[in-house]
Amino acid sequence: MTKKLPLSLQDSLFVGFCATLLVALTGMLRLKLGISGHSMFLMSFFYLICYGALGRFGSMTACGAIAGLVAMALGVGKGGPMILLKFVLPAIAMDLIALLLPLSMALHWRCVILGLAGCIAWAGKVALTNMLAGMELDVVLIQWGMSVLKGGFFATLGALLVPPVLTRLKAQDLLHRDKF
Amino acid sequence: MWVSCRRSHRRTRGHWSRERRETAICSLSLLFVCVLSACAFVLPAYLLLSLAGLNGLLVIHGLLRRGCIFGVLKLGLVQLSITLSLYLILYGVAHLAQGAIVVARIILATIPGWWLCITVPPERIGEVLSAFLPTKWAFVVAASLSLLPYMADEIREIYHIQCLRGARITPRALRNPRNWAELVYCVLFPVLIQLLKLSRQMAIAAQSRHFGLNQRPTHWHSPRDNND
Repeated sequence: MTKKLPLSLQDSLFVGFCATLLVALTGMLRLKLGISGHSMFLMSFFYLICYGALGRFGSMTACGAIAGLVAMALGVGKGGPMILLKFVLPAIAMDLIALLLPLSMALHWRCVILGLAGCIAWAGKVALTNMLAGMELDVVLIQWGMSVLKGGFFATLGALLVPPVLTRLKAQDLLHRDKF
Repeated sequence: MWVSCRRSHRRTRGHWSRERRETAICSLSLLFVCVLSACAFVLPAYLLLSLAGLNGLLVIHGLLRRGCIFGVLKLGLVQLSITLSLYLILYGVAHLAQGAIVVARIILATIPGWWLCITVPPERIGEVLSAFLPTKWAFVVAASLSLLPYMADEIREIYHIQCLRGARITPRALRNPRNWAELVYCVLFPVLIQLLKLSRQMAIAAQSRHFGLNQRPTHWHSPRDNND
């Protein structure tokens, strides 16, 4: 991943549109699964699309921050300002882990690892809220583990769909990168 | 003509002061909500009752503004059942009250956010947040929000066409995670292509109008707002 911080206007707009699409789809689909963690599917998919399409450090964090702002502005979810953390924390974790991953690693594996890292951070936000509320550490850890398991499944599912989509976008000559 | 000019000038000034007042109220509401949410975690247990009273007023206000509290109640019930059963298994009946207080804190932290979403117009929240962002990102957020109806129409159109083609992406089919890949290939992939093209077009359009060259950018107000 290129460690260049500023994104061009075109890249920033793409990140913004991806974030808005993520929020819009989350609001539009509202999958009534009754399982927590299914939001990680769309989140990991869109963050990893930004990572693959732009290949810049900070692209996922920017996407998460804008998604949080848009979700707050549109009133998606019931968390109010807390919804910002829900979107930003996984994105920051994924960006930081992406810095550590070698580029020689297969894109599939990188996507899965990043998706899982995002899921751990997403579950961490829930655990942090519970700890702040004064919940016992054992209960916090069990709930965190359950969230990681459920969210991890959906995050992996979303992450595995990214490499074929990137390959197709590349085939359409829409990406200006030679290698992912 | 001079009189009509003065009148329109006065109307514009009135419109500006009303906008500024609404933005200030929105900023204060945001601050109030953040403080109230933080109080739910920080305050000692004996002060939670007064905080609950304050939150109760917010709930009444939200309900009067035709807000739906069902989502918050559902969240509270799910959280209560999971937490209380874990407390019961791990610590026994003696600690159940402690578990209930924990859940109460979480609900008290959620209610102010719910109230904010109902009482403050979303575009005002966006405007307040844009004040804290760099120009480029404020432009990106504004462009994304204003293009949302276009994106939603585009997605809906593609979705319906793919449904007619027999893609397994109906709400019932999507309950099975196996069909999610189809949703990505049939709907998200064409939408992503559109977004990439749209971002390129918008960036060229903005840069050809010298976007980002001036340190103090001009903020144009929508003519629709001025006619209100």
